[in-house]
Amino acid sequence: MSIAELESREIQLERPQGLWSEAWQRLRRNRGAIIGFGLVGTFVLVAIFAPLLAPYGPREQNLSLVREGCCPGPSADYWFGVDALGRDEFSRILYGARYSLLIGVVSVAVGLTFGLILGAVAGFFGGIIDGVIMRLMDIMLAIPGFLLAIGIVAMLGPGIWQIMIAVGVVNIPIFARLLRGAVLAQRENDFVLAARAVGVPRRTILGSHILPNSISPLIVQGTLALATAIIDVAGLGYLGLGPQDPATPEWGTMLTDTIRYLQTAPHLAIIPGIAIVLAVLGFNLIGDGLREALDPKLRGRA
Amino acid sequence: MRTPLLTVEDLEVRFGTSRGLVYAVNGISFDIAPGETLGIVGESGCGKSVTSLALLGILARNGRVTGGTAMFGGRDLLKLKDEQLRLIRGREIAMVFQDPMTSLNPVLTIGKQLREPLQVHFGMDKSQADRRAVELLEQVGIPSAKQRLRDYPHQFSGGMRQRVMIAIALACEPKLLIADEPTTALDVTIQAQILELLKTLVSERDTALMLITHDLGVVAGMCERVNVMYAGMFMETGSAAALFSQPRHPYTLGLLQSVPRLDAGRRQKLMPIPGSPRNMLSPPGECPFAPRCRYEVEQSRQQVPPLEEIEPGHQVRCFNPVPADEWQRERLGGAA
Repeated sequence: MSIAELESREIQLERPQGLWSEAWQRLRRNRGAIIGFGLVGTFVLVAIFAPLLAPYGPREQNLSLVREGCCPGPSADYWFGVDALGRDEFSRILYGARYSLLIGVVSVAVGLTFGLILGAVAGFFGGIIDGVIMRLMDIMLAIPGFLLAIGIVAMLGPGIWQIMIAVGVVNIPIFARLLRGAVLAQRENDFVLAARAVGVPRRTILGSHILPNSISPLIVQGTLALATAIIDVAGLGYLGLGPQDPATPEWGTMLTDTIRYLQTAPHLAIIPGIAIVLAVLGFNLIGDGLREALDPKLRGRA
Repeated sequence: MRTPLLTVEDLEVRFGTSRGLVYAVNGISFDIAPGETLGIVGESGCGKSVTSLALLGILARNGRVTGGTAMFGGRDLLKLKDEQLRLIRGREIAMVFQDPMTSLNPVLTIGKQLREPLQVHFGMDKSQADRRAVELLEQVGIPSAKQRLRDYPHQFSGGMRQRVMIAIALACEPKLLIADEPTTALDVTIQAQILELLKTLVSERDTALMLITHDLGVVAGMCERVNVMYAGMFMETGSAAALFSQPRHPYTLGLLQSVPRLDAGRRQKLMPIPGSPRNMLSPPGECPFAPRCRYEVEQSRQQVPPLEEIEPGHQVRCFNPVPADEWQRERLGGAA
């Protein structure tokens, strides 16, 4: 390393910067995370600009294409081929990104919100409140997540909003437990005692001292949960519990519709499958990158 | 003497643990007047810190005050509800903690942490509190204070952080400042600066200072009166001068003998106190120091000796006090 480089590094070290900008610096150096951001970025852009990018409408049928038999493979006009009802697969995949993203984000937001409140209350106040909340969470965790989601959808009836609620509820105990653990660890910190010693009210201590210190594992988990949520939503869609309008281009539902044509038109199953894998992979890579960037043990290392 | 600011009588603190009840503080009494500096000395685990946490009502969850009174401005701190006590904490009684590296919140700026007591107790808005925060940082000797408000604790050195802790503690101009081992985690050179700073700030405002430490040197330089604590009891109390020239309790003598001195002879060895501190899982039924004591008598194994005055202002909890000239003789003998 040259002297100029050393000097520039020192200047960088001396520049006052918060913990978040430091984490961002580390994240930027992580190749996996950058790929993840690329994938998720594409995913989000596609979701937003689907009407501009898609050559056909998601519900537009051209039955003459399937008169010869199901189903014509990729061609210049229909990049990913055509499905059993003569709809352009490429356009449907693009529109499908909207559903996966929306359902994923909303369901994780539901899980995160309730999990955050329950976990923070349980961890901070302890005692009976903690016992009741956490046993409830244990009961929820004892039921396999996907089964619980199916149960909730069965109770509420199939549909997009029902799926979001179901996947969100499944996420609540995961977030609650994670935050409770972090709050318990932070609660015993010297700076909490110091804040109490200057008369800061308990609620303020929880909100402005303990939570900001406990939030980073939750951000990581939130990103990873987005990936799982997309899989769960696809799974529920595959089981026929998804949107009831068969024309809705939801990736999981699209997979279900192709079972009968698996022998003759495997691309109809492979393409939505790849879309799901790429979206999930993107969120997982970001999640892992964030975990490394926010890990206090790695702080200060290059 | 002035009327005391805080009068503690027979304070008792217990902790419920999985191994049984821990008798952490067993009936201590002291008072402190405005402008006075009171030292509490003792080894780790003798109950010094617990005493201060109990007064502020911020003991760990398993800790309970089981007896005693602590009169402060006509109110008994130990009987107040947490919400009433919260208004006293930071406003009238403040505390500086041992480890400045962990006592500041790593994710909040220094400014935010300095504003907190001002906003809680005086209801200041952000800009008022910021102005006061700059003043405070300047008082504790932090250069370019205004810029540093936006910095995070990890951008400060240990000594600077302890200055910030002192600034936070003094933000609301409390009447009593409790400093719990304020220099233990710092370099020796920084220690002197911090002690000097505490001394100046306290005397400027006529603040009472309760200095908790295991460092006899610190006590000798700072305090007028000293309490020597062992196993949750005061073993000897008196003026710093009396205690350091004529220690009468074997434990005080042991502490003095175990500290290296510049005036000691080259061959003279340090004399450690044999044994280890008393297991605090049972209530004291004998002199707690008896198992480690050279001066132990029959009676000390049977009952706890009372704290008795042996000369004006000098009290000792011992059935067989050390002869008044023992320490002086030993020092001179050793030096010869």
